[in-house]
Amino acid sequence: MHITRRSFVSTAAASAGLITTGISPLRAAAYPERDITLIVPWAAGGGTDALGRTLTKNAKQYIGVGVTVVNRPGGTGVAGMKAVATAKPDGYTLGLITFHLSSYRLSGLSELSYRDFEPVMLLNRSPTGFLVKADSPFKTMKDLVDYSKANPQVVTVATSGAGAVPHLSTALLAKQLGLKVTFVPFDGGAPARTAVLGGHVTMLVVNSEEALQFYKSKQLRFLALNSDERHSSFPDVPTIAEAGYPLQTLLLDWRGIAAPKGTPKEILDVLTVGFRKMAQDPEYIRLMDEMALPRANAERDKFREFLDNIEKALEPGLAEVGLLKKI
Amino acid sequence: MFDPQLLFAGFATIASLKVFPFLVLGTVMGIVVGAIPGLTATMAIALLIPFTFAMDPISGIVMLLAIYAGGIYGGGVASILIRTPGTPAAAATLLDGYPMAQKGEAGRAIGIATISSGIGGLFSACALTLFAPLLATVALSFSAPEYFSLAVFGLVVTMSLSGNSLLRGFFSVLCGLTIGMIGIDPIGGFQRMNFGFSELSGGFNFVAVMIGLFSLSEAFRQMEQMDTMPPVPPAIRNVLPRFKEIAGMWTVYVRACVYGLIIGIAPGVGAETSSFLTYAEVKRASKDPSQFGKGAPEGVAAAQAAENGSTGGDLLPMLTLGVPGDAATAVLMGALTIHNLQPGPMLFQERPDLVHQIFAGMISANLMFMIVGLLGARLLAKVVQIDRRILVPLVCLLSLIGAYAIDNNPMDVWVTLFFGVAGWLMYRNGFPVSPLVLAVILGGMMESNLRRTLVMGLGSPAIMLHRPIALLILVLAALSLYAVIRRNSNEARKRKAEEAVTE
Repeated sequence: MHITRRSFVSTAAASAGLITTGISPLRAAAYPERDITLIVPWAAGGGTDALGRTLTKNAKQYIGVGVTVVNRPGGTGVAGMKAVATAKPDGYTLGLITFHLSSYRLSGLSELSYRDFEPVMLLNRSPTGFLVKADSPFKTMKDLVDYSKANPQVVTVATSGAGAVPHLSTALLAKQLGLKVTFVPFDGGAPARTAVLGGHVTMLVVNSEEALQFYKSKQLRFLALNSDERHSSFPDVPTIAEAGYPLQTLLLDWRGIAAPKGTPKEILDVLTVGFRKMAQDPEYIRLMDEMALPRANAERDKFREFLDNIEKALEPGLAEVGLLKKI
Repeated sequence: MFDPQLLFAGFATIASLKVFPFLVLGTVMGIVVGAIPGLTATMAIALLIPFTFAMDPISGIVMLLAIYAGGIYGGGVASILIRTPGTPAAAATLLDGYPMAQKGEAGRAIGIATISSGIGGLFSACALTLFAPLLATVALSFSAPEYFSLAVFGLVVTMSLSGNSLLRGFFSVLCGLTIGMIGIDPIGGFQRMNFGFSELSGGFNFVAVMIGLFSLSEAFRQMEQMDTMPPVPPAIRNVLPRFKEIAGMWTVYVRACVYGLIIGIAPGVGAETSSFLTYAEVKRASKDPSQFGKGAPEGVAAAQAAENGSTGGDLLPMLTLGVPGDAATAVLMGALTIHNLQPGPMLFQERPDLVHQIFAGMISANLMFMIVGLLGARLLAKVVQIDRRILVPLVCLLSLIGAYAIDNNPMDVWVTLFFGVAGWLMYRNGFPVSPLVLAVILGGMMESNLRRTLVMGLGSPAIMLHRPIALLILVLAALSLYAVIRRNSNEARKRKAEEAVTE
């Protein structure tokens, strides 16, 4: 074998690393030797994209190489996530996977599920918020529930879209309490919010972060947060249980990092440590706080367990709204 | 909340050496990217967001605003020169811009397009600066019933782009509506008509459809007649339009500015809708509509002024309500977020200085692309002089690369090819393409908002009676429909009479 000066130097460096750290396989010590690609299955400029870019902005500092964000939107996230799942499991292609992955199999869109990935780290779980316009007569969750009980179908509920977490959470709540509400699905959280701000729809159910600005400007009022704990960005908002309606199933929006199935354990170890550090980056923490995205830190098997539970919770939700079409 | 002092301070910041180079850089990049088919202003902004990381927020934002304004304008240049809309918004420009260029008036067409884009852009930027909070309340009073009515109005107006046969135009509209139905049901959330392709679960990519219908189909047509088509006469030298010419079109500009602003403010509909709508309206109101489509300068002016006329309006709901007005502003919103600036009501309270810098940046960006555009027009106009045997394959290549570049998705290349053939067949059989394109854009808006309206009205259409604005727009739509049908039958009668005379 022809040994070039460079390969000799890097082998020597790797062996030196071996000696000092005591890790055995040579391959893991060499990884990562070039930039890593992070596929974001959503368009540039969105919240998930902002998260991915800020998280990996200082990657070089934490993992030794840069992380390049590549947007692969299309097919409601399937295109990008499929590209990750089918990529070479060498640790150089990773994905920022999102809630939608939990629903593909159940809604019949694609066979893709978390089973096609090696979960690395859960970055965020966002609770749904139940809100009304500031001048609404409904001051508490109880006001609204009581009114809705007395007047079936009359309460209109703006959601970010059919089948998304806010819609399913509300459907599950309504089922548990025996309520009948009228859903008005919008194409995303922002238009739904605008419809409630304009007084066209009674209630707004969206991911809590989408209401932040209007919570601060006091144009929208939170009735409750569909969560098991309070949210640091909305300290005075009660959880749904505190508002008097403990829910049997809790659905949460989520985002996380995953590698293709079959990625070697040694590489996953490097990635886990690297992303753990990136998630502690002050700039990333500041962005997450400003966007009101609660940070989560379930790694590997814990992340997998979380994904398993979400899928189990999703099934009755989708069945309730008639969107269950399991593959 | 407009504060002249803060605005002047904003201009001072932009004129500083720290920011100004990025304004120029952004404008040039915007025009270049805008003029390349498939590369849209939206993509340019998205691609450059990471580069703004290292800049201070205002330099980065001004650069992105300049790309936005320049990109929307630059799309028209490719429309004029090679009948390929550089950005979706510029599709209406090609209807008259390309015939002008083929007549040897490429320079004049680009000159008019530049001045018109500038007029529209400056008007909307000033409206944004002066009335943002007020106009935000207008945006709030619009909801599903109003959007539904607006879409119906748009489709009716589209019919006037049908050419000679209203029936063929109607057929195009129906095709467009059907294509728009592919993908996720906007209310129910289930899949429909995706023929088992998960790639189609979000529907056809609109940009891919448009590149195919407009540019690839034209390339096919030119290949067919490669040897028989007369060469393009050399471009006339004067690029800067005479003041009299521009002033003579003031009614066009009034229409374009008003339509551009209103459609811009409506969240989710942007420059592509406003340019087509204004074009159709200006054509309808014109004394001699038969000149449109054959190289009427008014057609170029209407499309370009409305295109950039919607940019300020598109920014408005993004800045005030956190609802992007169109795809490009959605990406801009992401850029602001990354710089730790959350668009919405709090931005005006917490960072009025920055908001005014954005206003000043938008006004400067519009002035800047006018300067750069007029300087570069003479050079650009030479493109039409390139031998067709070289230009046509180049256009094909650019179209296909452009289609792939949208989302790096090979499916979009097939979509473009499919619609290229479809557009060529439509052309050969006298079916107009524009109504189809607009129907794809407006169809989804019409359907989802009609269904949303009915849900909000608890199942009863009577809700429309409580919505005066929506009702008014619907009445206008009915009147327009009547006018279009009447004029079309008059024209048909006139044609018959003329034919009888010549026989």
